Formats: sequence, C-alpha cells, structure tokens
Amino acid sequence: MTSNQSDVTEQTGTATVHPLQEFADGVAAAVGGVAEIHFGTVKVRVPAEWWVETHRIAKEELGFVFFSFLSAIEWANDVAVGFPLSEPVEERIEVISTVGDLAEGRRVTFSTDIDRENPTIASIVGVYAGANWHEREAHEMFGITFEGHPNLINLYLPTGFVGHPLRKSFPLLSREVKPWPGDVDVEGMPGDSGAADEPSTENPEA
Amino acid sequence: MIADLLSNFWVALVAKLLLVALAIPLIGMVVGFGEMKLSAKMQARVGPYFAGGRWGWAQLLADGIKFFQKEDLIPRDADKPVFKFAPVVVMMGTVALFVVIPWGPGLIFRDLSVGIFYALAISSLTTVGVLMAGWSSANKYSLIGGLRAAGQMIAYELPLVFSALAVVIMAGTMSMQGIVEAQIEAGYPFVILQIVGFVIFVIASLAELSRIPFDLPIAESELVMGYLTEYSGFRFLFFFLAEFANMFSMSAIAVTLFLGGWYLPGIPADALEYLGPVILVVKSLILVFAMIWFRWAFPRVRQDQLQSLAWKWLIPISLANVILTGVFKVVL
Amino acid sequence: MTIDSDTIRHLSEVSVSVELETEDMTLNIGPQHPSTHGVLRLVARVDGERAFDVQPVIGYMHRGYEKLAEVRTYAQITTIVNRIDWVSGYANEIPFIVACEKIMELEVPPRAQYIRLILTEMARIASHLVFMASYPLELGAASPLFFALRERERVLDLMESVTGGRFHPNFNRVGGVKPAYGSGSQTRKIVQDLPAGFYRDARAAMDRVLEVCDELENLVGGNEIIHARTKGIGVIPAEVGASFGLSGPNLRASGVDLDLRKVEDYLPYGDFEFDVVTGTNGDCYDRWWVRLNEIRESTRIVKQAIDGIPSGPIQAKVPKVIKVPKGETYVRAENPKGEMGYYLVSDGNNGPYRVKIRSASFSNISILPWVLEGVLLPDIIAIMGSLDFVLGDVDR
Repeated sequence: MTSNQSDVTEQTGTATVHPLQEFADGVAAAVGGVAEIHFGTVKVRVPAEWWVETHRIAKEELGFVFFSFLSAIEWANDVAVGFPLSEPVEERIEVISTVGDLAEGRRVTFSTDIDRENPTIASIVGVYAGANWHEREAHEMFGITFEGHPNLINLYLPTGFVGHPLRKSFPLLSREVKPWPGDVDVEGMPGDSGAADEPSTENPEA
Repeated sequence: MIADLLSNFWVALVAKLLLVALAIPLIGMVVGFGEMKLSAKMQARVGPYFAGGRWGWAQLLADGIKFFQKEDLIPRDADKPVFKFAPVVVMMGTVALFVVIPWGPGLIFRDLSVGIFYALAISSLTTVGVLMAGWSSANKYSLIGGLRAAGQMIAYELPLVFSALAVVIMAGTMSMQGIVEAQIEAGYPFVILQIVGFVIFVIASLAELSRIPFDLPIAESELVMGYLTEYSGFRFLFFFLAEFANMFSMSAIAVTLFLGGWYLPGIPADALEYLGPVILVVKSLILVFAMIWFRWAFPRVRQDQLQSLAWKWLIPISLANVILTGVFKVVL
Repeated sequence: MTIDSDTIRHLSEVSVSVELETEDMTLNIGPQHPSTHGVLRLVARVDGERAFDVQPVIGYMHRGYEKLAEVRTYAQITTIVNRIDWVSGYANEIPFIVACEKIMELEVPPRAQYIRLILTEMARIASHLVFMASYPLELGAASPLFFALRERERVLDLMESVTGGRFHPNFNRVGGVKPAYGSGSQTRKIVQDLPAGFYRDARAAMDRVLEVCDELENLVGGNEIIHARTKGIGVIPAEVGASFGLSGPNLRASGVDLDLRKVEDYLPYGDFEFDVVTGTNGDCYDRWWVRLNEIRESTRIVKQAIDGIPSGPIQAKVPKVIKVPKGETYVRAENPKGEMGYYLVSDGNNGPYRVKIRSASFSNISILPWVLEGVLLPDIIAIMGSLDFVLGDVDR
C-alpha cells in the first residue's frame, strides 16, 4: 500500500521507519489511497472519482479542517518553455491539494491524475469553501473543468483570454521574440564542462 | 474712538468689506497653517519647512497659488450650475457667520437681536453647499458623502440649538453682544453653570464642521474624499478655506456663548475696545487647537454610532439641560 | 374606533414598503481606492450604507510568477519570490530555499540558519508595523502611522545593513546566506557575515520596537472609538476561517493555537522560547491585538537569537551550479501574513519543473465575500484592513 520514495531514512540504510510513516499510512487507509513521503511531505494518491469523498473524509473524519491550497502539475514530454523532463512520463495533469489540521499542525497533500486532453474533476468547494478561488485559478491556468463549481470564471486573466498559461505548451511570447538578457549571466548550463561540483563558497572562517 | 469713526456709514462699509475680504482667507490660512504645524508636532514630523524661508510660513500661500493655477475640472456628467455654485454657497455660509461675531464692545458687523438664532441658522448653509456638491458631482462616493453630511446636520443641529438655548435662557437675550454683556453682568462666564451645554456644543459643532471623529462626509479611507472627490483647483480651495474659517467662527461663537466672548476680567473697559478682538481670537484659537488635537488623535466613528450618539445621548441630555436651566432661572 | 387593528397594521405595512422601496446602487470600490492596499477591486451592491454581494475582483497585479519560475534557475528565483509579499520580502525567500535544500538534502550551517531566523523575525516586525500604521489610518486615525513607521525604519535599516536591500534583499542562497561583504574573489579574503555593531543596534532597535508597542497599545488599543469600530466587527469563526484557508494572525485571532513556527522545521525555532498569541473573538480588534503581541514575541525571539547565535560558516558546500535532484516537496512557513508555502517539483535540472506558490493573502481575502455580507460601508474598510493583505501576495 505504501511506497516510500527518496527519503532520508532510506538512504541511511537502516531499517528505521520514517516518523511520518504511521501518520501517512493512517491517512492512506482512511481515504483508500496510496501514501508517499517526499521529504517531509505526506502525499496520498487517490483515484479521481474519489476526489470529493477523499476531502470529505479528510475534513470530517480525520480533522483536516484547514484548507491550504489546490493546484495542478502538468506532466508533459514536450515543453514550449522551461526545462524539459529528463525521461518521458505518462502525460497527464496531476491535481494536488493540501489540507491540514489545526491542533498538531499536520498536513497531507492529496493527489490525483486526470486526463490531459479533457481535464475534468469534481469540485471540492462544497467541502472546503476556500477551494473556490483555487479552482478558478486552476481552471484558467490549466483548463481544468471543475464540475459543480458555483462560479467557474477567470480569476486573474481577462475574460476571453485564449490559452492556459501554466500549460507546458503555452509559450512565453516575449521570450520567443527576444532572448532573455539574463542568459548571459548564467554560469554554464547543465552538461557544460567543468561547471558542476566545484565549491563556490569556501568556509570563511576555516 | 473706533466706534465714532465707524459710525460713518461709508467708512464702516468699506472697512467691513475690506475686513471680510482679507480676514476670512487670513483666518483660514492661519488655522490651516496651525493644523499643518501642530499635526506635524503630534506626529514627530517637521511639517512645512521651506516655503517662505522660515518655518514654512508661506506654505498655505503657496498652496493657494498652486490651487489657482490648477485646471478647473468639471465631470462630464456633473450638474454643472450646481457643481459650480456649491463652493460659493459654502463660502457664503462662512462669510455670513462672521456678521454676528462680536469682536469687542461695539465691534460687530451687525448686532442682530436674534443673533444666535441667525448664527445657528446660517451655519447650516454650509451643509446645503456640501449636499449640493455631493449631489451634482455625478460620483457615487460624492453622493454618499453629501447624504452623510445631510444626515449629520439634521442630527447635530438639535443638540447645538438646545445647548445654545440654555445660554439664551440664562442671558435673557439672543443678541450676541447681549450674551457677552450678560456674562459680564453675571460676573462669570456661562461655562461654569453650562459646562454640560458647552461640551455638547463643542461636540455638535465638531460634527457640524465634519471634523474627526465626525468627518464621515469626507472619510478619505472609505469615500476617497467624499463630496470633495471631484473638486479641484480654486473650487477645492474654497472648500478648504471655508473649512478652516468655519472652525474659527464656530469656536468664536462657542467662546461668545460660554467663555465670555471678548471680555476678560481685570482689563479696563476702554482698553477692551482694542484688546477685545485679541482676547476673542486667543480664546477661539484655544478651542481651534482642541479641535486640531482631536483631529490627529481620534479615529472616525461609524455612521450609526454617530447617529446614536446624537439621538440617544446628546439630544436628551441637552433637553434636560434646557429644562434645568429654565427651572434654575425661574427659581432664582 | 372605526378602524380595527388589522387594518392599521396593514396600512402601515403598505406605507412602509412603498416608502422604503429604494433602488440598490452598485458601488465599485477600487482598483484605485485609498484603502484597498493597491489594486484590489470590490464590487458591492449597496443599500444606503449597507453592502451586499461584495465580490472581490483580483488579478490587476498578476505577474505570473509560477510560470516565470519555470524558466529560471534556482538562483534566479529568489529574486522574484521576494517580490510576492513586498512588505516582508525577506520572509518569502525562506520556504523556497528550504524546499530546495530539503530535496538536495543539504545541511545548512547553524549560523546561517540563525541569521535567516533573525532576519525573518525582523521582516515580521516590519510587516506587522506596517499593519499597525495603516490600520488606524483606515479607521481615520492618522497619527499612529508615523509612530509605527518610524520604528519600522530602524528595523529596515538593520536589514539593509545586513542584506543591502530594504524590501527585496535576495539574501538567501541555497545552502546558506550571501556573504554580506565582498563578492567574487574578494569573498574569499574578507567575509563578514553580519556588519559591525549589528548585535548592539538590533538590541537597541528591539527595545525601541517594544516601546512603540506600548505606545500603540495606549494610543490605539486604549481608544474608545477604536473599540467601537473594531470589537464584534467582522467576526470569523475558526472553522469557517480554516475552511477558507485563512492562516497566520487572522486565524489565531479566532482562537486557533497553531503557529507553523512551532510545528514545521524550516528554521530552528525550537531553540527559542516564545508564545503563540491567540485571540478569542476573531473580530477586527483581536486581529489587531494578535499582531501587536506578535511583534513583542518576535522581539523576544530576535533577542534570544542574538544572544545564542553560534559562530561558524554561513554557507554549506554546494556545487557552483545548483541542481536540485528529482523530487517534490511542499514547504510552508509562518510568514507575517500567514501560511506561505512552495510546492516544488524538481526534475534534476537547474530550474524547477513546477513551483506552486501558496501565498497567504490570496486565501486570506478569499473569505471577503463571506465576511462582508450585509456589513456597513465603513466596516468593509475596517474588516478588509484587519485581514492585512498585500496585493502582490494575492496576485503573485
């Protein structure tokens, strides 16, 4: 049920359990998802159709009443701007939301994968009122349709704006017209010879 | 001596006209400058510093010249005649109020037998001008500001009148000079017996003047600039000067009603002819100082709090004060 | 009596309803308005002085930092993240840098952590003092502005002496902080992490800040009109606030005893003694009061940190080109405005694959339609001001 990626305790080689493991497993069992621990962040993957139910359980049964944020990550192999992925992934949009509790300050990130071409997911505004603006933002930035959202209109962008700016296929036009002046300052790009592994700052008092 | 000279109608007319044309802007400027400097002192600032070479004394003069140079903007949708006339109405109310302020024995523009009645009535003219400005600006903030001013005037006119009424009962006259003479005759300023009335009068006149804590018609954090939002240039200057001149004239009326006006015990009667205006101005400026002090120390009340203060507290208290004064007058 | 009481009531009801049927006015507050802290716009339906259906319109300052972060290297991103909430620019850098360091599994030298902590708390003091200055102004009292800003200037001077910037320090580096003096080859010769006299000046500044807190408590907290304007106004129950994502002092004013400094490990707050300030009623006054006392707690932390600051390096050994390995994490921090966090997704490049910026003010003002329903016009300003938002933090 649990996969523990890239964790500090694993790398030490000992069999100690990560302090968050028990908590992560508990949440995953309650909502029926898969728990992962990413550097202190508990992430529980759930299927898209359980999205609303997951949040309802989290709020009402697990006590995660604090709504932190909702957003999305687009996993795409072709990128118009920015750094491409090192190895091909399954193209999808990952919707993430983070909720927390107020007593102990624990938090958990829920994640689900939805289709990239026609992204649709149920809205959680009914559970967390604060998701309203976050979903509107994700709607205009990624083109995700949140079913059941009371007022799914653009939040930042002007009405009638074409495109979804945070999609990896959305170019930064000014960058295409004119190369970024900051490029000249970059001290060697990845893969350049001799750039890596040279300590930049020595211990001043050593 | 001065009174003899002024008995010539034409001399008196010219003197009065000159006085009005010079005194009101001058008073407005002095009070305005005082406000600038005092607020700076209260806020650990320097305030105007460079204009005029020393202490920034010419700051308001420079401001005035600046206002005259500015473009006279009138919003396209404004009710133009009303918009243009509103500052004049406000200024008229201010000027007309100076008519009945007694500056010294015999030194009064016109000692009306209904002096205080006239003063209270004419001071409301300012509010009419404010309402005109708010209505004609074709701006929702201006409109709300104008309506607030109207509501405020209706609420605070009553305690103002009632507290003045108690003084009238004590003096037995409505003439402004008569009220001062009554206080001389009684041997004490009326504030001693009318302390409640005095406090109510000051609070109500603060509201009439739309000064903090009752500056809801302007309320720059809510209504941008209230009824003044669309005004610029010399029309704004009119409002600006009228505000400061009104502060002075309302204080002068309060001084006349409660603090013995131009009279100060121990000063010989013939010297009062010259010193009277000085005494009145000094006393008034003390009240003006208090108003400026309030302005920079208090926040602003809310509209409903302002109304409930007037209707639930000030009016009943001032009514009771009138009744008590009447009983006191009859019994003694 | 020829008219029975029913008829009288009926007549009076008719006359009242005819008299009071007035047209509602749509009032557009902002984007250019003295009290919207920049370019927030509220569209309200007002009936006299009462406002209904208040809808905030944001986005006038949207700069697309999440997209910009995707085309920049890690070192370049700190320059844009400290422009998110410019009132406490320094504090914005911390969660992002910590997120990078977590994925890189980098051990930051304690001295660097202490310097970060001192400056973060100073940013908090500066930010809260701006609130102390602007909030009474929104209620009509102009003078506290000058008292609060005067002390803020001292704190900003200190921050400037360390970082070289008053608002946008860009002082954090992955693995530590920037050496304050010298650059390039000079760094190796003379490295001075904190300027001379910093401890003394900081202590003196903290004392002055404490004094001005007392002054403000007398001047503002002791004012009857302030009480009338703020007590019982804009009450936000804790559960409602939490479900809207309200955080930081705004949520603590509702009685929630949660401070991310106590529960998260982004800076060594565990070494210090300080109290979490909570209110009880969740109204405007409590939000003001919580911030005032948070300034006091922050001065406590700064004083303790100055006393206990360890010596040692201020920069861990890092490669010349920062590459964050493949991984993702969410790091949140207790910023002056509330919970500020970055969901960092890295793919081993020298720039991130995706950065989700969770800013406090964005969630804090998303509660406005709920809390402003049916309030009076002056209370809109009082409530809005008490939430202490910065438009850069809302729009990002």
